[in-house]
Amino acid sequence: MLRFTLERFAGMVVTMLLVSVMVFLIMEIPPGDYADRYAFRKYSGTGVNVTEADIEAIRRDLGLDQPMLLRYFDWIGGIVLRGDFGQAFAFETSVAKVIGDKVWLTAGILFATLLLTYLVSIPVGIYAAVRRGSAVDYGLTVFSYLGLALPNFLLALVMLYFANRWFGADIGGLFSDQYRDAPWSLAKAWDMAKHLWLSAVVLAWSAVAYQIQTVRATMSDELNKLSVTAARARGVPELKLLVKYPARLAINPVVSTIGFDVNRIFSELPIVAVVLGLTELGELLLKAYLDLDMNVAGAILLLLTFAIVFMNFLSDLLLGWLDPRIKLGV
Amino acid sequence: MSDATHLTGDLTVAGACEHEARLKYYSASQWTLIWWRFRRHRAAMVAAALLGVMALAGIFAEFVAPYGPVTRDTQYIEGAPQIPKFCDAAGCSFVPFINGTKTERDPVTLRAISVPDPEVRHYVQFYVKGEMVKLLGFIPIDRHLIGLRPESGQKIHFWGTDDLGRDVFSRTIYATRTSLSIGVLGVLISFVLALIIGGAAGYLGGMTDNVIQRATEVIRVVPIIPLYMGLAAAMPKEWSTTQVYFAMTLILGLFGWPTLARRIRSQLLSIRNEDYVIAARLAGARPGRIIAQHMLPGFTSFIIVDLVISFPYMILSETALSFVGLGLRPPSVSWGVLLQQAQSVRAIEQTPWLFIPAVFVVVAVLAFTVIGDGLRDAADPYAEAS
Amino acid sequence: MSKMLSVENLSISFRTDEGVITPVKGVSFTVEKGRTLGLVGESGSGKSISTKALMQLLPGTARLGAASRMIYTAKDGQQISLGNLRHGSKELRRIRGGEIGMIFQEPMASFSPVYTIGNQMMEAIMLHRGLKKREARQFAIGMLNKVGISNAAARVDQYPHELSGGMRQRAMIALTLSAGPALLIADEPTTALDVTIQAQVLDLMRDLQRELGMGMIFITHDLGVIAQIADDVAVMYLGTIVERGPAKEVIRNPQHPYTQGLLDAIPSLDHLHDRLKPVPGDIPSPTARPGGCPFHTRCTQAIAGTCEVHEPPETSAIPGCAVRCWLHTSQGRSAA
Repeated sequence: MLRFTLERFAGMVVTMLLVSVMVFLIMEIPPGDYADRYAFRKYSGTGVNVTEADIEAIRRDLGLDQPMLLRYFDWIGGIVLRGDFGQAFAFETSVAKVIGDKVWLTAGILFATLLLTYLVSIPVGIYAAVRRGSAVDYGLTVFSYLGLALPNFLLALVMLYFANRWFGADIGGLFSDQYRDAPWSLAKAWDMAKHLWLSAVVLAWSAVAYQIQTVRATMSDELNKLSVTAARARGVPELKLLVKYPARLAINPVVSTIGFDVNRIFSELPIVAVVLGLTELGELLLKAYLDLDMNVAGAILLLLTFAIVFMNFLSDLLLGWLDPRIKLGV
Repeated sequence: MSDATHLTGDLTVAGACEHEARLKYYSASQWTLIWWRFRRHRAAMVAAALLGVMALAGIFAEFVAPYGPVTRDTQYIEGAPQIPKFCDAAGCSFVPFINGTKTERDPVTLRAISVPDPEVRHYVQFYVKGEMVKLLGFIPIDRHLIGLRPESGQKIHFWGTDDLGRDVFSRTIYATRTSLSIGVLGVLISFVLALIIGGAAGYLGGMTDNVIQRATEVIRVVPIIPLYMGLAAAMPKEWSTTQVYFAMTLILGLFGWPTLARRIRSQLLSIRNEDYVIAARLAGARPGRIIAQHMLPGFTSFIIVDLVISFPYMILSETALSFVGLGLRPPSVSWGVLLQQAQSVRAIEQTPWLFIPAVFVVVAVLAFTVIGDGLRDAADPYAEAS
Repeated sequence: MSKMLSVENLSISFRTDEGVITPVKGVSFTVEKGRTLGLVGESGSGKSISTKALMQLLPGTARLGAASRMIYTAKDGQQISLGNLRHGSKELRRIRGGEIGMIFQEPMASFSPVYTIGNQMMEAIMLHRGLKKREARQFAIGMLNKVGISNAAARVDQYPHELSGGMRQRAMIALTLSAGPALLIADEPTTALDVTIQAQVLDLMRDLQRELGMGMIFITHDLGVIAQIADDVAVMYLGTIVERGPAKEVIRNPQHPYTQGLLDAIPSLDHLHDRLKPVPGDIPSPTARPGGCPFHTRCTQAIAGTCEVHEPPETSAIPGCAVRCWLHTSQGRSAA
């Protein structure tokens, strides 16, 4: 188990390294650089005449005149060693400050969504497989088609509309007005929970649709396995049989795709955030892209991707623990 | 064939027909068989027909749409859909018509608003004279599929208008062309990339394969919409709509290949040591030829299924990006651009018809998914033959 | 000797997309305490389905014929009609495992891969013997010892994939027997094993059966195996028993052309230079069951005008034996 863990860990570090290179390249794509945009933003409209030499000075100041490779090491080194993601020019402060506790808000949304996804999709998928061909089963098939086809921002709008009608106007966003800038307290956390469910439902929607199909397919396979017939022939009571034999194995593909779900949720987050007025990393990412504040955007993209890679690592470990056959394969 | 069997009661003739049908079945090519099986998949056939109609409407948008995508009707701003009817208080008619509108001042706000004028009838006509447009970009026509007579001095808006008085129906038709064509180009680009990348990995194997697998994994792990957004954000603001359009297809295609490349790789790996491949290699055929002539044909049908089911992702990605303002920009029209006008709950309450493009998105995505499923079933050689 | 299981007129049909098929039609057999009945036939002859019906292990699309009777005499002497047990009832669960045990062809697939051997054994032991966890574990180790697994105390905590094929089938036997069944159904238990291991497992099963005094139904397609293990034999073809009787008698003096064909198909060391003589033709698909005698499409001695028209009755020329073939009826002989 230790060797398995170490190997997966090494794999995770390598992937993270490659991801950081890719994110860095994306940060470099927009025309112009930080110095240009910084100068433009700071002095445009102020009447100050910015010369090429001024920009050059800023560039030198920030070390932007260095070759790309050096700048990459500077950037990633700062992140790894000091937690320093550089400056956010649109906010005139450090990226770390801008991101701040939005990381935790995002994590909260992510876990609420994941929890909802699995709490719904696993039992429902199992039920659909056991009651194959029933009305519920067909209904779920239609639902899962819709789960893929309905753009999430549209779903968010529709949900928001109905939530407004049924639960009052103050349901979008993550907090009620009085808590938005208040320090963390129990009341604020509770307030967040009251708002969180809507985002969780919207973000979980397609993941649920997808996972139900996965669970249903695996469960249907597993139900027909000889080991299930054999256990039934030994007189294991039906409910215990279902849970212990096929359902236990039907969870494996779900576990192995946790990273995939996180990826999907993060992918939808910036779009859904626009509609629901969420104030977390996705919304900030979109804003940063629109401002071409690439230090912020790069930092967020890196954090989100690292989270996915880390979840992949966790899901590998979990799968290794759930399925004794995997350890042997290492 | 089977009809003939039923019509002739004669057993020997029926037997001969049966035999002929069997012969036809056994000698049919792979593609004929797939088509036969696909044809029996009713949902997929319906989906294909729907998509066909959409594609035709998009291709001939200039003719199908009564008005241009940016033509404004200042007489009818944020107007509700006008549904042609056959009857009103004044009686019925065989030709569908709409009632006219007139401008009045709102008694409270004193703003000019348009109110229906039941006195006037405007009859709906097919093949009606209207704006001069260039069909397919080069055939000048002034006729449109449907509309009101130009003498009426009014326009018909089947699906209402937006805040600038632009016809939602016309815009949706034009948007269909943009969105579907971006999907097609995006899928084509990612297909070519998948062929090259997956082909290299699967055919060469070894170190090349390892490196490509690593790179693929890195791309798969980055959340795709934020990645697309990063690239789209980098498009210079001063680019023309055409430049943005092609840049978008490139962006979507550039990262759409991993799934397909993976499929091609694994299939190639599984057959690269088959005797017939080795024979071709020994005969001195070049790798490109071996892959194209000997290896790919064995799983073309799977590739097609994968291509079809990758359309929805392209369409949804384009829609999402344009929706948040990072994709196509006005004055281009795509489904996502149109939906940008419908970002708030206020829009649902006051101008719900602005959501009609969303129906197109959902239908197109559903259709591609259902067709993909139908094709997958049809292409499965183990599907029961009857 | 006492009858522990008597099956009469068992018919099983399935609803399918192509209509109703009947893979088992009018099957009758009995199993006696301490004796082994061999069920022989090609794949698709309905031998597995018949035994699965005993334990209600058939899928929901299966229907038993109205005249089907399956009477089982339990360990306590109670007579139980197996077809009438309610789904999910306690009685059915007692029958499954506790009264009738089943061993399948694929030992690997019969175990769940994610639990240890011991876990799955203890589950059955606790269920049917009412032992506590610790005692159950001791019992499981004892059972593993009994089936000849060395180092049982360590093996009990291993996963199925960590055992070899023969070892796995031994463990499966231990698992099935640990619930204490009075009747053991073995569905081609040796087919998936190497020949040398096959012989060991067969020996083991015969010894255990004698030691525990169980009745046994042994399903196989191999008449050679029957000769080693069975006391009685029933030969099945397309869902009907075409010949039955004491194993020795049937093998020495087969009456039905199909049984003769099966025996001829066994390669013999005495005649290495002869070509193998398979039964000609293919087994028809269950959707196209031939009318009349089901075997007439492949029979070299079929009587035209009789065999393809009427189903033959069961006749008995030799005491204790029975055969369904027109060749052994007075009408058939006169027609031929």
